[in-house]
Amino acid sequence: MRKIMRCVAVAAAVTLVAAGCANGSDSSSGGGSGPIVVGSVNALSGAATFPEASAAAKAVFDAANASGGVNGRQIQYKALDDKGDPAAAAAAAREVVGADNAVALVGSSSLIECEINSKYYEQQKILSIQGVGVDPSCFNSPNISPANVGPFHDMTLTLLYGSEVLKLDKICALLEIAGNTLPSYQAAIDEWSKITGKKLAYMDATVPYGGSDYTSYIVKARSAGCKAITVNPVEPDSIGQLKAATAQGWNDVTWLLLTSVYSENYAKAISNAGAGVYVPAEFYPFTDAASAQTKEWRDLMTKNNIPLTSFSQGGYLAAKYFLQVIKGIKGDINRESVTKALHDMQPISDPMVGTSYTFGTGQTHHDNTAGWPIKLMSGTNKWELAATDWLRIPKN
Amino acid sequence: MLQGALAGLAAGGLYAVLAVCLTLMSRLVRVVNFSQSATGMFGCYVAVWLSIHIGLPTWAAAVVGIVLGSALSALLGWIISTWLAEADIGTRSAVTVAVLLLLISLSFILFGNKPQPFHPLLPGPAFSVNGVVVSQVTVVTVVLSVLIALGCRALLTKTSFGLELRALSERPTTAELMGIPAKPLAVAVWAATGLLSTLVITIVAPSQSNDATSLSMLVVPASAAALLGGFRRLDLAVVGGLVLGMAQGAVAQVDSLSVVRYFLPFLVIVGLLLWSQRKEVWDVAR
Repeated sequence: MRKIMRCVAVAAAVTLVAAGCANGSDSSSGGGSGPIVVGSVNALSGAATFPEASAAAKAVFDAANASGGVNGRQIQYKALDDKGDPAAAAAAAREVVGADNAVALVGSSSLIECEINSKYYEQQKILSIQGVGVDPSCFNSPNISPANVGPFHDMTLTLLYGSEVLKLDKICALLEIAGNTLPSYQAAIDEWSKITGKKLAYMDATVPYGGSDYTSYIVKARSAGCKAITVNPVEPDSIGQLKAATAQGWNDVTWLLLTSVYSENYAKAISNAGAGVYVPAEFYPFTDAASAQTKEWRDLMTKNNIPLTSFSQGGYLAAKYFLQVIKGIKGDINRESVTKALHDMQPISDPMVGTSYTFGTGQTHHDNTAGWPIKLMSGTNKWELAATDWLRIPKN
Repeated sequence: MLQGALAGLAAGGLYAVLAVCLTLMSRLVRVVNFSQSATGMFGCYVAVWLSIHIGLPTWAAAVVGIVLGSALSALLGWIISTWLAEADIGTRSAVTVAVLLLLISLSFILFGNKPQPFHPLLPGPAFSVNGVVVSQVTVVTVVLSVLIALGCRALLTKTSFGLELRALSERPTTAELMGIPAKPLAVAVWAATGLLSTLVITIVAPSQSNDATSLSMLVVPASAAALLGGFRRLDLAVVGGLVLGMAQGAVAQVDSLSVVRYFLPFLVIVGLLLWSQRKEVWDVAR
């Protein structure tokens, strides 16, 4: 009996260990004065992986190299893995910035990289065009400017769509808070309140990431009288929440979610979407296969066998912006000249985004404020366009 | 509060079934099986893969998955009773921790780390009490946990098969000398518990988050429930599972306590361990 007890005590600790698996990342070594070294720090292995952004950036650079490179110089792209681990993220940044002497970081996509490395980038005077920025540091650092809208403006957009377009009242928020993100989400909700004069009916910021059963949170929201729920979920959590609502027979709730759930995989997993799942897509919706806006990106991704996702859109755009800027550099292309060019650049517009991109010399970079509304209705298992134009956060 | 408690009952039923399996394993084959829910998860994932990629109907895929979960468990049982027959319970249980991690990694490699499109076997609500909805899944898991516990009890006390199993767990050497086939019986217990846990996970997985890690880690609250019965008593294991699930549901209703929810199984484990050791002198308990 005592042995069993001891066993349980040990194992209660041991079972906390979750296992991950590694995807290979191929980054060639080398350097020298010949090629232009460009880096990125990505979640390529670990529990949550985002390999598409850097793969898409690589595809853009490979295509540029194949057509002669930039001013006759080839681009050497190094995508490093942060393994979802702060120590590995810091080491990866030091490797590519310190040892490989990269001129800039382009197309990074990670949950923790910005927070860990933003101060280091300031010290090293290197700029990062993040492919997909997630944590608040991606948007309030002078040296990082993501290609995407980001979850905070995305939340303001999804609330605007719910209250102003769908005319829903009694909107509630279930927030999954990781690290220091609560003030940023609160600011996003406050911005919506400021624009519309409306308030949330109810907010629960205690919803856990990676929970197995969300029934009690759903029951609580339902009894608070919510008609629509906005969440900032990762895919599996959102699926769990929708299923908990289905099991409760709550079929008239509208879900106002973020781009984090916009994938074909998610659509296949959802058979009952209540009164509909609405998302302001951060880039022009890739599921609209016939669209001219995404054709160039789609062709390049398909040719390189890269999954068609929002992440590959972000990585692709980051690399395109970067190429366009460095093509205009007169003289040597090094870290100083690239930093100067990005600081002085003219805004670049692209049909895949609603806001034109500029790096500039701002202390923060949170200027991408447009999303394209899409919806997922019950029984369709397919994302559809919900609008014919970008939804924008009005300028105050 | 009542609403929350009823909402937690589905999870409670699941914990209870797994706790009954854990109790059976520890009583009959001297193992605390940490891969109990992981084998279920793996069987379940294979079922989803079969229904999407091979096009099997949902029920057929579910049956194949359940059989596979059972076979996987039986294989593990065969390995342990072949090479670790004389080992102590700690060593035998350590093997299952390795299997738990192996199955999680394997499912990441084979199926990726994106959630799987599970089709619900039992969708929607069953009935409502005072405006609180009780889902079909809740009814089935709770009934299943009670039936399994009663069935196992009857099997162990009323049949000669049960008598042999008990002989084997109480006096293994004597039982073997009397000609009771130890290994086949042990493997049968492994297969049966593997079958039950895969069955219940297959029922519950479509109605909740179902990534490999969260399904495999269900073994933690299940252990807490089994601990209430001291890994000996089936009735207390069922009660423990149901109460733990309801407590988690109720706690989530209070904002200030909501954070505690996911630590609750650990708190229960620590509390029960301290309670069970309360009379031990330090030197003896060490």
